[in-house]
Amino acid sequence: MDASRGNDVLPESATAEEGVKTESGGGDSSARRITAMLIAPGTIWMLLFLVVPMLMMVYVSFWTQKTFSIEPTLTVKSWVAFFSSETYFAALLRTIKIWLIVLATTFALGYPTALFIGLFIKNKTVQTIVLVLCVVPFWTSFLIRVLAWRPMLGKEGAVNIVLEKLGLIAEPIEVLLFTEFSVVVGMTQIYVVFMVGPIAFMLSRIDPSLIEAARDLGAGTWRIFRTIIFPLSLPGVVVGAIFVSVMVLGEFATSAALSGRKVNLLGNIIVTQVGSLKWAFAAVAGVILTAVMAIVVAVLLRFVDLRKEL
Amino acid sequence: MTAILELKNVTKRYGGDTALDGLSVTLEANEYISLLGPSGSGKSTLLRVIAGFEKPDAGEVLLEGRSLAQVPAYRRGIGFVSQGFALFPHLSVFENVAFGLRNREDDPLQDAAELRRRVDEMLALVGLSDLGERGIDQISGGQKQRVALARTLVADPKIILLDEPLGALDANLRARMRVELRRIRQQLGITFMHVTGNEEEALAMGDRVAVLDSGRLAQISDPDSVYNRPQSARVAKFLNCYNMFEGRRDEGGAFHAGVSSFACSPGAAAAGVYCVRFDKIRVVPLQGLSEDGGTGVRATFITSEYAGPRITYFFRGADGKVLEVEYHLSHRRPDEFAVGGDYWLSWSPDEALVYFQ
Repeated sequence: MDASRGNDVLPESATAEEGVKTESGGGDSSARRITAMLIAPGTIWMLLFLVVPMLMMVYVSFWTQKTFSIEPTLTVKSWVAFFSSETYFAALLRTIKIWLIVLATTFALGYPTALFIGLFIKNKTVQTIVLVLCVVPFWTSFLIRVLAWRPMLGKEGAVNIVLEKLGLIAEPIEVLLFTEFSVVVGMTQIYVVFMVGPIAFMLSRIDPSLIEAARDLGAGTWRIFRTIIFPLSLPGVVVGAIFVSVMVLGEFATSAALSGRKVNLLGNIIVTQVGSLKWAFAAVAGVILTAVMAIVVAVLLRFVDLRKEL
Repeated sequence: MTAILELKNVTKRYGGDTALDGLSVTLEANEYISLLGPSGSGKSTLLRVIAGFEKPDAGEVLLEGRSLAQVPAYRRGIGFVSQGFALFPHLSVFENVAFGLRNREDDPLQDAAELRRRVDEMLALVGLSDLGERGIDQISGGQKQRVALARTLVADPKIILLDEPLGALDANLRARMRVELRRIRQQLGITFMHVTGNEEEALAMGDRVAVLDSGRLAQISDPDSVYNRPQSARVAKFLNCYNMFEGRRDEGGAFHAGVSSFACSPGAAAAGVYCVRFDKIRVVPLQGLSEDGGTGVRATFITSEYAGPRITYFFRGADGKVLEVEYHLSHRRPDEFAVGGDYWLSWSPDEALVYFQ
């Protein structure tokens, strides 16, 4: 018995070892080559279309702007103009204000929704279906979704008609449309789903036995939410906040369509300046916007160690 | 001995499946009771009903004589240590243990010094004094087990329910935690109920062993009785150390199972199950048959499994059934058998257990 087993096993293990050797023999350099080949397209793409344009933008912001042309003579004139102009500096502050409001509204609306999807719906399939339902509005074009708020919020829009018919108001409310309010409403509706998704994902990953354990240890529902559920969903909140922040800070279309050009954000300024060929000035606004975004993302990432959490 | 927890005719159904079927059992104060059953026997459901995570469809649970029907999980004073430990990953070891004292609905502990004293005391009891500030991802599986236990114990529960507490640990650690669990329990004098699917663990841990089968209590007694005198063929089967033959006893006291027949205690003819423990069998060469006083069965040797202190031999009986024979190697060397060779598996009829339906 022993002898026959030995005969069976020996040749097999020998071939297996040979196989491993040939594979690992050329392994080191070929593995490195494969690594290089895999990361090359991404790296080249990012260099060409992210790093170089960003450096270019910073560089152009110091060029000299003539009426209809731009010259590569370095100057800080555009920078001085930006910060000394009431209009442009106010746009920066307004951008930050609208961003903070939209961040708050998307969180206030998004967190309960995510809580329902991620924690209360136990069935994974139903969870996915509901999340997909959240994305359904994206099947319509962005501009249509934004413009659809006009007949909703306008002086003779749906909201005013309903309120008047109910007898709640005598005169139509005019501040609904073409104000910061309408911009906030539009942005909240469009971006709230980016808050819901990551939070729902984190919530659905919470092991139900943790909640059971907390309950067994005597904690009530609100305590469990505050001490267990919310802290564990925090990485989702941060990711959602990064999504919303980056998109809202760079926004120009919603504010253009829903503010009647009364609410100018940094994004709107860039569009106008580029439209009138003021490249240097647009570059200044671009650099400032990028810097604001970088700070926001860096600060948000300080709250959680995403690498550890995801 | 005083009863601390009583279950009376507890029934729990999930849809059409009956997880607990009119189960009654009494837990004594200050005992270690292990609950053995195959998966699907209802043992986890039983724990969840006691802990208050599930409501029984019928019957009642009494803690120290009072019904728990209207008492929510967090007011029962029953600790629950779940299978995966369920430690809070965002809190340190200390914070995990302090969680219940600090966050419980009834009378939360506000005094920081008192909190620290009690948590430190509990960490010392489970041997984790130096690890309080560690994160949950910075400790080993065995340490997690201790944290989970300390977190539950710190609130002075009357009973601790442990759901397969050693399942997530490697074999080495499991053996050590067995001793630890029993030591901790003895030191505190509270009742532990330990659910396991492992018969060896159930026998080793429990002052009493309860065997659960299809939502009913099949047997509850001391480990020695469960092991040596299982009350039914089902219990013998869970113990995983009996060769079992289904068949019929005739009036002459012979038990017929397929082509084999064994000596059996005489009595009325009846269908039944004939069980012989693995370690009660001797393997004899076919020639030596006449000298052997026992009864037995002819079988073909397949293979063996060596496990240090014992060796298990696998044989195939005439009807294709695999039979196991276990030799303890304390005072002998393992025997060599030829693969494919025929042997006689012999045992004394007194050692066989026969269950009639």
